[in-house]
Amino acid sequence: MHLASIDILLIAIYGAFVLAIGFLLRRQMVGSAEFFLAGRSMPAWVAGLAFLSANLGAQEMIGMAASGAKYGILTSHFYWVGAIPAMAFVGVFMMPFYYGSHARSVPEYLKLRFDEKTRGFNALTFAVMTVFSSGISMYAMGALLALLLGWNIHACIAASAVVVLLYIVLGGLTSAIYNEVLQFFLIVFGFTPVVYLGLRDAGGWAGLAARVPDTFVHSWSYLGRADANPMGVEWFGMVMGLGFVLSFGYWCTDFLVVQRAMAADSMNAARRTPLIAAVPKMLFPFLVIVPGIIALGLTLHPNAGSAPLLPRLADGTYDYNMALPLMMSRYYPAGLLGLGLTALLASFMSGMAGNVTAFNTVWTFDIYQSYIRPRQSDAHYLWMGRMATVFGVLVSMATAYAAMRFNNIMDMLQLVFSFVNAPLFATFLLGMFWKRTTGHGAFWGLVAGTGAAALHYELTGVAGAASLLPKIAVVHAYPSDMAQNFWGAIVAWTTCFVATVAISLATRPKPESDLRGLVFGLTPRSTSPELSWHQRPAVLAGLVLTLTLALNILFW
Amino acid sequence: MHLDLRYPIGLLLTTYGVILAIQGAVVEAKVLGLNVNLYWGAAMTVCGLAALYLARRKRS
Repeated sequence: MHLASIDILLIAIYGAFVLAIGFLLRRQMVGSAEFFLAGRSMPAWVAGLAFLSANLGAQEMIGMAASGAKYGILTSHFYWVGAIPAMAFVGVFMMPFYYGSHARSVPEYLKLRFDEKTRGFNALTFAVMTVFSSGISMYAMGALLALLLGWNIHACIAASAVVVLLYIVLGGLTSAIYNEVLQFFLIVFGFTPVVYLGLRDAGGWAGLAARVPDTFVHSWSYLGRADANPMGVEWFGMVMGLGFVLSFGYWCTDFLVVQRAMAADSMNAARRTPLIAAVPKMLFPFLVIVPGIIALGLTLHPNAGSAPLLPRLADGTYDYNMALPLMMSRYYPAGLLGLGLTALLASFMSGMAGNVTAFNTVWTFDIYQSYIRPRQSDAHYLWMGRMATVFGVLVSMATAYAAMRFNNIMDMLQLVFSFVNAPLFATFLLGMFWKRTTGHGAFWGLVAGTGAAALHYELTGVAGAASLLPKIAVVHAYPSDMAQNFWGAIVAWTTCFVATVAISLATRPKPESDLRGLVFGLTPRSTSPELSWHQRPAVLAGLVLTLTLALNILFW
Repeated sequence: MHLDLRYPIGLLLTTYGVILAIQGAVVEAKVLGLNVNLYWGAAMTVCGLAALYLARRKRS
């Protein structure tokens, strides 16, 4: 792929914009509330678009297009089943407790609701996990740019680290959120032409459907049996594993996204944040998955006179990860190509910034202030937040280099973290909706759920695939690693749920006076009859769910 | 001073739109028979100006 000077110009303009926003916001950063919580001043639409973008790193964009080429429209389940219902749930039912408790982070909510050890467990695992995933995506993006454009991978890593570091140290969470919103618009404008041109070239949706296997253009028709679809998952594992456990676990408890809603300017805005995010989210499959399907269509049945789009790897399979970059380089002339690449770079940088801002908050409030230096001045914690930002970026860089040398170790770490994440939603669900849940129940339930996830992994395998960690024994073989992942999550969630209930019943609950504002039933319902329909979270949620259902039926 | 996010959004989209449109007008690189730089640049400019208009209307 060759870049013209106009492409470089567009990328440079974006870099200048990002830094300028950081500098303009610098004067607003007067205390820790401004730096870590954006002063709780974000309008609902800003928080909503940031909520959406914080999750849309470049790895996600490349990965979703790759998955579209590999599995087809089935990939949309990661959006329509695996995101929208959970986003509606967190907005309508959970945000009153997150925002109403005035907790500054998700671990802090756990401290208020349960006890110190539950917070500590969540804060530590989350802090380590975020810097690692930021480093891994840093490496992935550097490697992609090196491959596509022949840029120096070390220069890519260093340059992106410096830009992200500067704009967060200067403008804190506000800076991160503003850049996430910019990234949203860049992705929409940078990707729409590739979908339009690709579909036009492939002969529209009908022409595309004729080029790919039928399983690639139906989202539900082939989910009856695991061996009938390319993902190797059946509907129950899909709905319960992905749609319930994993999706609710991520969207309802992950501080990276919840932090965006906590920064909203009012309770109503905080509740609408995930609902506003859900509208573009349900349409994103057309922007990020369809290009992958087009890439596969133009590979299996190229138009007369043009070469197959996707190259083959050494083992004979297609190089799916190149789907999106190759679509851009086929359809974008100099100019538009710069815009498309800027969109990718922007999503990469703001994905990293999202991780870093979540990390510096959890580190400063939930680890440093709680265990290392409590009762310091606000200015001291603001200073610590800036230091934590520098530290977080440095560790990310170190992780990026580690990922370059020891790719396997990184995959193993991510696997281990997935064990910790799987049961989380059971803890939050019980904590928010059952006042009898105790701190001991929550903590040991989490430990039991994590253990169950690890044990499930140790005792099951994937047919015909090598395993990342050594196994104790394989008593059940799944048809695909996705099926193993979904079922492992179901096992972990159920174990955590049962253990938390059992231990809670055997231990002493917190007095009800300590739980006001934290638990359903002990929190006054916010009723404001003067709101118009589009400001009511329940109405918006109903609308979002109806539209998602319609999309599912349309692509059944 | 509170920075209204609609200004940077409007400014970025307008800048990109104008650059793309000029590129499309000067170098006619057609893709599937379309001058994509020109059309998409024009569309981005319109969206950028709309964001700037909304930001100004709010202030006054």
